[in-house]
Amino acid sequence: MTTTARRSPTGAGMMDRRRLLQAGAGLGALTLTGGLAGRALAQTPTLDMWWWGEQELPGLQAYLDKAIAAFTEAQVTPMLQDTAVVISQFQTAAAAGEPPDLQYLWNGIYHMESVWLGYLAHLDGLMDDGLLAASNHGPLSRFDGHVWRMGWYPLPMPWYYNKDLFDKAGLNADAPPATWDELLAACEALKTAGVEPFGGGVQDGYWAEWYITHGLSQNLDSVGDAVNLFIGDLDFREPRYHQHWVKLQELRDAGFLNKDMASLGLYPGIDLCVNGQLGICSSIGTRLPADAKTTNGRIGCMVLPVFGQGALAGRPVVDMQGMGIAAGSEAKEAAASFLNFLNQPAQLASFWEATGWIPAASGFDDSVITDASVKDLWTRWGKGDPITNITNLMPGQFYEQAAIPTGQNIITAGMSGEEAGELAARVAQEWRDFNPDLVEKYQQWASELSAG
Amino acid sequence: MRRNSPLVPYLFVLPLICLLAFVFGLSLIRLVEFSFKQVRGIDGPWIGLRNYELVLGQPLFWESVIHNLKLFLTIPVMVMVALVLALLLYERLPGWRIHRTILFLPYILAIPIIAVVMKEMFQFSGPVNAVLTALSLDFMVLDWIGSADVALWTVMGLIVWRETALGVILFLSRLMALDESLIEAARLDGASWRQRAWHVLIPQMRGVIEFFVVISAITMLSAVFAYVYVIGGGRGGPGTATMVIELYIFNALIRTSLPGIAAAVSVLLFAVSLLLIWALFRVRRREEA
Repeated sequence: MTTTARRSPTGAGMMDRRRLLQAGAGLGALTLTGGLAGRALAQTPTLDMWWWGEQELPGLQAYLDKAIAAFTEAQVTPMLQDTAVVISQFQTAAAAGEPPDLQYLWNGIYHMESVWLGYLAHLDGLMDDGLLAASNHGPLSRFDGHVWRMGWYPLPMPWYYNKDLFDKAGLNADAPPATWDELLAACEALKTAGVEPFGGGVQDGYWAEWYITHGLSQNLDSVGDAVNLFIGDLDFREPRYHQHWVKLQELRDAGFLNKDMASLGLYPGIDLCVNGQLGICSSIGTRLPADAKTTNGRIGCMVLPVFGQGALAGRPVVDMQGMGIAAGSEAKEAAASFLNFLNQPAQLASFWEATGWIPAASGFDDSVITDASVKDLWTRWGKGDPITNITNLMPGQFYEQAAIPTGQNIITAGMSGEEAGELAARVAQEWRDFNPDLVEKYQQWASELSAG
Repeated sequence: MRRNSPLVPYLFVLPLICLLAFVFGLSLIRLVEFSFKQVRGIDGPWIGLRNYELVLGQPLFWESVIHNLKLFLTIPVMVMVALVLALLLYERLPGWRIHRTILFLPYILAIPIIAVVMKEMFQFSGPVNAVLTALSLDFMVLDWIGSADVALWTVMGLIVWRETALGVILFLSRLMALDESLIEAARLDGASWRQRAWHVLIPQMRGVIEFFVVISAITMLSAVFAYVYVIGGGRGGPGTATMVIELYIFNALIRTSLPGIAAAVSVLLFAVSLLLIWALFRVRRREEA
């Protein structure tokens, strides 16, 4: 024992009886309130939320943290998922009976497979019907008469063109090419002006997927047609269903694709266009606020010039990211309540503030958008007559073994558009052989989508 | 039980055997079971050999196998380069310790790190082609990672660069442990450096060379995922030019929701690896006999 720790022999510093009683009473009160608070906390539902999106929309995490802090009906624990495991992690957990309550869901097949496996709860009847409809979840979230996903934020998919480079090539920067012939003429003019006309980066494969999004849809009459290609009711070997690959081959043969396209990833490829080194490239709307600022508004947006004859040709494409509730969740009502909360006007405004991007819900007051480029994109894509991203209907096997290799091989390995059609047909057949249990579900999905 | 009972040593290792059986044995049994099922989520109906039929009938699987076999071409290159470098270092040339460290450095760095750096270097508009152009070697400018004809060779080059380092260290360690009197005797008899290496040193390194060959073979078969994942854009591209069996398994499991198929290919890969190890032991036993 040290000297300083010793009590004074006179009793100075010792607690008298009254103080002892007061302290005891105080401690008792604290214990009581603490216990009550603890019990109240124990009654508050806890929700596990597995999500993704910070990767493509910086600021989303900050928004979510704020929203979770403001939500009082449940304690939400978020976990940001790695891109590679968003689906498999959820499906494995759901199969093991321990899914998160809330799960981030990509569009179309990326969540529909979980619906078919019984891992997701339908949101109609759980969420507020008005808010669910206003979340613009899109047609690919419907199956069997139910809605399985809430729309969270939209992804318009425009083609960028660099207005300064169009000026340099003597092209009208306010009237981008609308037909395929106009595109070829514009590419020729850009090439003559010493500018690489068209492309981006296909090394990581996503460009090839986006190209199908814009190209294949031009020869489809309904979204259901895309599913029919996979289940075998339509055939990729028919010229109209591989015409988009023939057109890509045409661009390659004319020398219009940027030379480093095969060794660049998607985003560095888009950067080329933003930095004034490439005339036209495929992009995504979430990039536009930053890219418009970088170029002082000199990035224009257009749809892929038209070559196809289908009913979907020439229409803008808007994809939609979303959120759902696991069928195995023990707190579905609380989870639905959180989704309702995210769709309140104050939360939608908070989303915009944190991310600089537009939330999906119709309740968002879009008068806050001041940037002319973003406003134009939102008017023509978000509020126009968009179609959904048809690559969201692709089975994973087709995506990996046909959609991406075809685009890369046409650009790098001399594959022809017709050969791409052959490969796609073969892989679609392989998918049917590997997944006989899913074909029937796809057939039902196709008929529902075709019926509108 | 008496202390000198023959069972005593086995009892000492029993806990570890149980642990290994639990960790690996159980997984292996489950893997084999999965390979006979159409798994959705974590289980599914029994479908016999159907997964194997589908895999063996798919061109992409065989393309992956061929790519793995092509990677075997790196093994003789690595052995030769590692041998030459180890022998040079053994001669204790000035600064040999620093050279040894520099040579081993790639092996210390994680594969994804060096693969990402190399990917930047070998881009079409990257530093390697810029240097070649500056040196007027335009004919050597290639689309190293973007061309379907070249990408796998680029991966092989990267593998040789990194994995050779292990060979150098293994060979040098063996050389350091050799009886120097033999080498000295050869030197006194007038043997040249090449003769000493060929007739005195390399014959005594046979065991370690074999070991390195087997390790490298197993690497080429089942441990090149990180290389192809980074260089091939995460997908074995361009097209399917760098697709290997490991990536095929990864895609089946993670990206195409086909755990049964992934299990079937894993079982095949495991069987081939076992066969390789068995062959090595057999050769060694015959040599020892």
